[in-house]
Amino acid sequence: MSVLENVKLALSSLRSHKMRSVLTMLGIIIGVGSVMAIVAIGQAGEETLKSQIAGTEHTVELLNMPDEGDLQHNATPVTDPFTEEDIRTIEQIPEVTEVVATSSEFSNVRFHEEVLGASVKGINQAHIQVHGMEAAEGRLLQAADFLGAGNHAMISAVVRDDLFADTSPIGEIMYINSSPVKVVGVLTEQEGLMDLGETEVFLSRNTWRNVFSKRNINQVTLKADSADDLQVAGTKAASLLNQTHGTENEYQVVNMDEIMTGIGQVTRVMTIVIGSVAGVSLLVGGIGVMNIMLVSVTERTREIGIRMSLGATRGQILTQFLIESVTLTVIGGLIGISLGQASAILVSQLAGWTVQVSLPVMFGGLIFSMFIGILFGIIPANKASQLDPIASLRYE
Amino acid sequence: MIQLQSISKSYPVGRNVTEVLKDIDLIIQQSEFAAIMGPSGSGKTTLMNIIGCLDHATSGSYYLNEKLVTGYSEKEVAHIRNRDIGFVFQQFHLLPRLSALQNVELPMIYAGIRKKERRQKARDALHQVGLSDYAVYAPNELSGGQKQRVAIARAIVNQPDLILADEPTGALDTTTGKQVMAHFKQLNKEGTTIIVVTHEPGIAGYADRVITIQDGLLLDGNDIGRSRETLT
Repeated sequence: MSVLENVKLALSSLRSHKMRSVLTMLGIIIGVGSVMAIVAIGQAGEETLKSQIAGTEHTVELLNMPDEGDLQHNATPVTDPFTEEDIRTIEQIPEVTEVVATSSEFSNVRFHEEVLGASVKGINQAHIQVHGMEAAEGRLLQAADFLGAGNHAMISAVVRDDLFADTSPIGEIMYINSSPVKVVGVLTEQEGLMDLGETEVFLSRNTWRNVFSKRNINQVTLKADSADDLQVAGTKAASLLNQTHGTENEYQVVNMDEIMTGIGQVTRVMTIVIGSVAGVSLLVGGIGVMNIMLVSVTERTREIGIRMSLGATRGQILTQFLIESVTLTVIGGLIGISLGQASAILVSQLAGWTVQVSLPVMFGGLIFSMFIGILFGIIPANKASQLDPIASLRYE
Repeated sequence: MIQLQSISKSYPVGRNVTEVLKDIDLIIQQSEFAAIMGPSGSGKTTLMNIIGCLDHATSGSYYLNEKLVTGYSEKEVAHIRNRDIGFVFQQFHLLPRLSALQNVELPMIYAGIRKKERRQKARDALHQVGLSDYAVYAPNELSGGQKQRVAIARAIVNQPDLILADEPTGALDTTTGKQVMAHFKQLNKEGTTIIVVTHEPGIAGYADRVITIQDGLLLDGNDIGRSRETLT
């Protein structure tokens, strides 16, 4: 008796008890569906998180991390982690396409009577492109602003809202550290999980130096054309800086890959934990299948006896009932997969995440449903196959 | 064809052991029409079940077509039931969810015959019992006599050498009972060995040989080829 015929037989027997089959399936639908939804939502969340962190593609940050021993023994603290000279050295590395050098200082910003504490950043032109800055109002800082010292500033939306309540900020003069700067543009808010609306003011590096009378650079980010180039550029830059400053391992590269892997691990653990809870409902669904199959075997004792008298082997009876339970769980599984994916898509869209339809996960869900059918069908099927033909024929 | 050598069957009933069949020796030849008679509880159904490979004897040897069936595996025994034996039961034992045609197809499914051939053979068998027009009917749409004829079609469709019928007319009125027995008579003429278990002398009357059993012992009719004329 072929598998196809067994499936047809199973379908007709499931059809003969529609209500019961649907209710039994419901357990599997809910179980598979919730596991599917959680895995898919977890994946979508992970991808979104990663893409936001890696939003500045092919960039790597250089860090200055003096080890604790040095800090304790050296009386003179390291004040300038990066110098203008360092930036020029790094720009010479062939793999480096852009160097973003940023100075930052937390300072009060004043407009008329309003005062606001903001992170004031001195940036170079590369910053604008690498970080994908866009102007919501006015304009961005331009080449002329970076070459001269036009005392021009770009502000974040938060600064605009807090400082310029009624007026348009464009063209207005505000004071940072007693120095006047003219607002030329308001930046668009960066969309995403990680940006919670920063209070930031951006100046050109020249302006920043004039305002704060300081030259130090706090943050250096490199950009390269490919991930491989980036690796090379980062390593070269770090060793060049260590060489010129006569330090060992004080300059390091922040490895985005490691951060990504870390995030991946966290979201995966969360998915597994929540998924396991959903898995419990699948277990309950499976037990429901076993229960109904045991009832079905008892009800069909006579049928089993008749089939045996007509020459069915115990193996064929076992197969018949096993395929019936697998058919039940696979149909339930398919519905569950569809519903799970649908709810994952819904949740992702509400959260503004990238929708993920993962074929391997769906296929895995199908295989898993099949496995549930076998796991919980084997006991009833075995019971059916072990029946005594004579007693079964006499069963009323 | 059938050879039973000192076959015994006993069941444990509580602490006691009930002996249903006691040391039965029986030979039934090819193409015989035999009736096994006896009061209820005499062991006649158990004897039929052992002959039909549905039950195992506690001791003794059973040869079917010169092959010792007693030591066969479950799978081999299932194969014999499928190919060599056709069963007809008092309660018809048709599967209620299947049509008449599908019921007749069942033994061929287990024989591994292809669907197209199966359909054709099932139609032929239904035609043979005069039910060509009822192929798509469900068992509950058929009369008792029609059900039993479907059961006969199912029993003969794999062309077995032996047909075992347990009280085949027990649930039928006299007229339809006669029709059913006429089918058996016809099959026997075509060479099939028929064994009918009954407690009605009228039904046993169709057989060429009557084997009487009482309290698990063969009383009469163990002489091969004894004709029904000598009995009556």
